[in-house]
Amino acid sequence: MDERGRAEGQPPPSPAAGTNNEDERLVPQMTASANAAREDDLRFEAEALPYIDDVYRFALSLTRDAADADDVVQETFLRAYRSWHTFQPGSDARRWLFTITRNVFLRSRERERRHVDLEDGDLEALTSFAAGTDHARDGSDQILSRIDLGPALQRALNELDEPFKSAVVLVDLEDQSYEAASEILGVPIGTVRSRLFRGRRILQEKLMTYARDAGFTTAQRGQRGSKDD
Amino acid sequence: MTECNRDIDCRSAVQKLWDYLDEELTPERMDEVRRHLERCGDCLPHHEYGRVFLAALATARQTDARAPDALRRRVMDSLRAAGFST
Repeated sequence: MDERGRAEGQPPPSPAAGTNNEDERLVPQMTASANAAREDDLRFEAEALPYIDDVYRFALSLTRDAADADDVVQETFLRAYRSWHTFQPGSDARRWLFTITRNVFLRSRERERRHVDLEDGDLEALTSFAAGTDHARDGSDQILSRIDLGPALQRALNELDEPFKSAVVLVDLEDQSYEAASEILGVPIGTVRSRLFRGRRILQEKLMTYARDAGFTTAQRGQRGSKDD
Repeated sequence: MTECNRDIDCRSAVQKLWDYLDEELTPERMDEVRRHLERCGDCLPHHEYGRVFLAALATARQTDARAPDALRRRVMDSLRAAGFST
């Protein structure tokens, strides 16, 4: 409303006119605030929501349960929306969402959380491949390329404890670099390496147990034994 | 494990093997490990073992997993309840 309009057709200012003037000053501020909020929402819609499939897949890898994954995804996007103002424009939204996803998952599994932080990735690598040597000796390493490992791997991943599971899922399943995993997990790269290598070693051991239970190595030993005989 | 006594020894090569397979080493380190593997018959099986294991593990990724429609609706409902306006 402009001054001319008031002069021509409006009643004279009342005692409450001061309040009205304040309201008039507040209206543009509120409009600007609403516009800013709307723009934030549009950015959230354009930059965060498209990653819902990635977040769902990551949550599913962590929880190994569809219903649990749904809960994690819903909570992830709710937290992401509420803290959208902390997101640095231009940075990796997928990585940021994965960080939240992992935190939501950990909180949902607080009781299962393990604080086992081994810092020596080199030692883990040596141990892992030393185990591989043992398996090579009895021929069981070859089952990795001979049998369908899908069900055994799924089971082994289900059983893998934190913090090893998150490192394995991020690097080996989600193809994240050590640096990205370090950022998502909030730990140094050395810790990512040790968790990752330890996780891989645990998975290898579980696969070998699976192979033995399924009779693969026994059969091979039997074949060797009969040849030797 | 034997010592090859070449550019890097077997212990160093095996310590770096996961990093090598993950392509997380510097180009110089990648070359060192590659050269070692080309010449060392003891370490090559370790490399093959790790490579096959990682390939099998990668297949566990649920590439076709898509957020179900019901979940998308659930997420949008919870966002709108929190003030999301689009």
